[in-house]
Amino acid sequence: MTGFGDRILGLGLLVLAVAYGWAAQQWPEPFGGAEGVGPETFPTILAFVLVIGSLYLMVKPDPDAQWPVRKTALELVTSVVVLIVYALLMEPLGFIISTTLAVGTLSWRMGARPRMAFITGLISAVVVFVLFNYGLDLSLPAGLLEVE
Amino acid sequence: METLGFLMEGFAVALTPYNLMFALFGAFVGTLIGCLPGLGPANGVAILIPLAFTLGLPPETAMILLTAVYAGAMYGGRISSILLNIPGDEPAMMTCLDGYPMAQKGRAADALAISAVASFAGGLIGTIGLIMLAPILAKFALTFGPAEYFALFLLAFATLGGITGKNPMKTVIAATIGIMISTVGIDISTGTQRYTFGVLELYEGIDFILAIVGLFAISELLFFVESRVGGGREKINVGKLTLSFKELVSTIPTQLRGGVLGFIAGVLPGAGASLGSFISYTLEKQVLGKKGKFGEGDIRGVVAPEAGNNGASSGALVPMLTLGVPGSGTTAVLLAMLISLNITPGPLMFTQNADIVWGVIAALLIGNVMLLLLNIPLVGFFVKLLSVPPMYLLPIVTMVAFVGIYSISHSTFDLYFMVAFGIAGYFLRKLEIPLVPIILGLLLGPEMEKNLGHALILSDGSWGILWGSPLAVGLWVVAGLGLVLPYVVGPLLRRRMNAAMKESPVSD
Repeated sequence: MTGFGDRILGLGLLVLAVAYGWAAQQWPEPFGGAEGVGPETFPTILAFVLVIGSLYLMVKPDPDAQWPVRKTALELVTSVVVLIVYALLMEPLGFIISTTLAVGTLSWRMGARPRMAFITGLISAVVVFVLFNYGLDLSLPAGLLEVE
Repeated sequence: METLGFLMEGFAVALTPYNLMFALFGAFVGTLIGCLPGLGPANGVAILIPLAFTLGLPPETAMILLTAVYAGAMYGGRISSILLNIPGDEPAMMTCLDGYPMAQKGRAADALAISAVASFAGGLIGTIGLIMLAPILAKFALTFGPAEYFALFLLAFATLGGITGKNPMKTVIAATIGIMISTVGIDISTGTQRYTFGVLELYEGIDFILAIVGLFAISELLFFVESRVGGGREKINVGKLTLSFKELVSTIPTQLRGGVLGFIAGVLPGAGASLGSFISYTLEKQVLGKKGKFGEGDIRGVVAPEAGNNGASSGALVPMLTLGVPGSGTTAVLLAMLISLNITPGPLMFTQNADIVWGVIAALLIGNVMLLLLNIPLVGFFVKLLSVPPMYLLPIVTMVAFVGIYSISHSTFDLYFMVAFGIAGYFLRKLEIPLVPIILGLLLGPEMEKNLGHALILSDGSWGILWGSPLAVGLWVVAGLGLVLPYVVGPLLRRRMNAAMKESPVSD
């Protein structure tokens, strides 16, 4: 079936629009009574526009894009996981170690040889760390490498 | 000559050694961004914003830096068009038509040199146009009331997709999503908490900088991972410069025409740099007719689109500076910088922050000279960069984005948010929902709501005020046209652009 992606997106946006619009009606009336524009006026208009837009998407979807399958999809998921883990480990492990791992893994998964990938990661991490901490006086977390 | 006085003051700001240094740095980085694979101008400027912040640059310096990057990226885009037949950014598409054949004939160095000169001419003409037009438009914009502003914002969204845009409904959806995100947080006029779900980090709203960086930089990484083009390109030999002075002089009329046309396309809503270079190229072809060998490496076929797109990039600054309404992705990102510096863009900026506005304009002039000087001797260096493999480059760029966002708030919460925006950006791009309207929605949403509120207070709650003045009605009509025209004219124009690409014998 063509236009599957747009239809799903349309459905998702419709749900979002309705929920968004509904939530706007639940806020208590602000102190001092209702004026021309309350906090809910603008969101309500937006919800209407999005309802119309999402219905249009479902009725007249564009042809589908090529979605990644199996291996490519796995690579994509890997990359996202790397990014999340990077954010997670930045403070505990420190900037240099976490960056070496993150940049190295990403380069490697994008096709670089592992050795080259991790060396690139290490060099870029050290350069940025030194530049930021000593050149620009902005502290990045040192983590495990912190010298007391 | 009030303007001239202001311009002199602007030069006084821009010519301080500190600002000059940043302008030079920006011009250099901008060219890098323009020619590196996988780093568009909007993306590049977005990544630099958090850095400009954390460096604690004064507002005028920060703006000079980013404007120089913006101008530089337009120069850089042409390098890969000429050498590889792959446009570095969208406006550089038309440069492929004659640039690449020239390179194949062994005249790559000439093509690069003449296109640098043409970029300079286009940029210069555009900036002069900006200097003349901006103050007039700013004065005119002072007559705008809240209702007119509300209509103007709508117009900006409606025309953002451009006349050549594919599906205007998707632009509308994207803009709505952006504005919706901007409503998260505490409502400024009443103090009501909106869509915060009790999460402390959401009380102040979602920082648009991290949204922009996530949407652009992270989604770009994911796109590269998907397309698996991590390998670099072969090294290219540029050859010797054989361009004669006579040849250079013979292209001057083309440069003037291209620059002026480009500037006009840049100022008009919905046209933009891509259309600017397209129009310049087609017009040049028509003016010269059979005298030229367009498509086979005619030197004027390189000059016209380059002058056009650099003229347009200066032209696009006019609505951004005077009305606070950007017409392109990169100018939207520049607007983000202004807003986060606590400067309200729009007509008042010309009186309240005259030093910044004129400093930026002067920096644009200086930047253009610098770019010309940088680009001719350093072209070999930039050409080498084309062969940097994205598999090393993109992870490093992503890391820089992480560092930038982290150094703003020192909170990893923001990093997760950025990654989430990146994933959303990937899916939206896949579904051909344009990202620029989302960003514009994020930026303009609060202003739009504020103006709506003011308008309705003025009219005592009557909605009629929104189309109560002839000016407002006019803006509504143009906005309507912006949505309807792509359906009517769009397919025609797109076909002609494609046809022009196909006509050239080598564009396979």
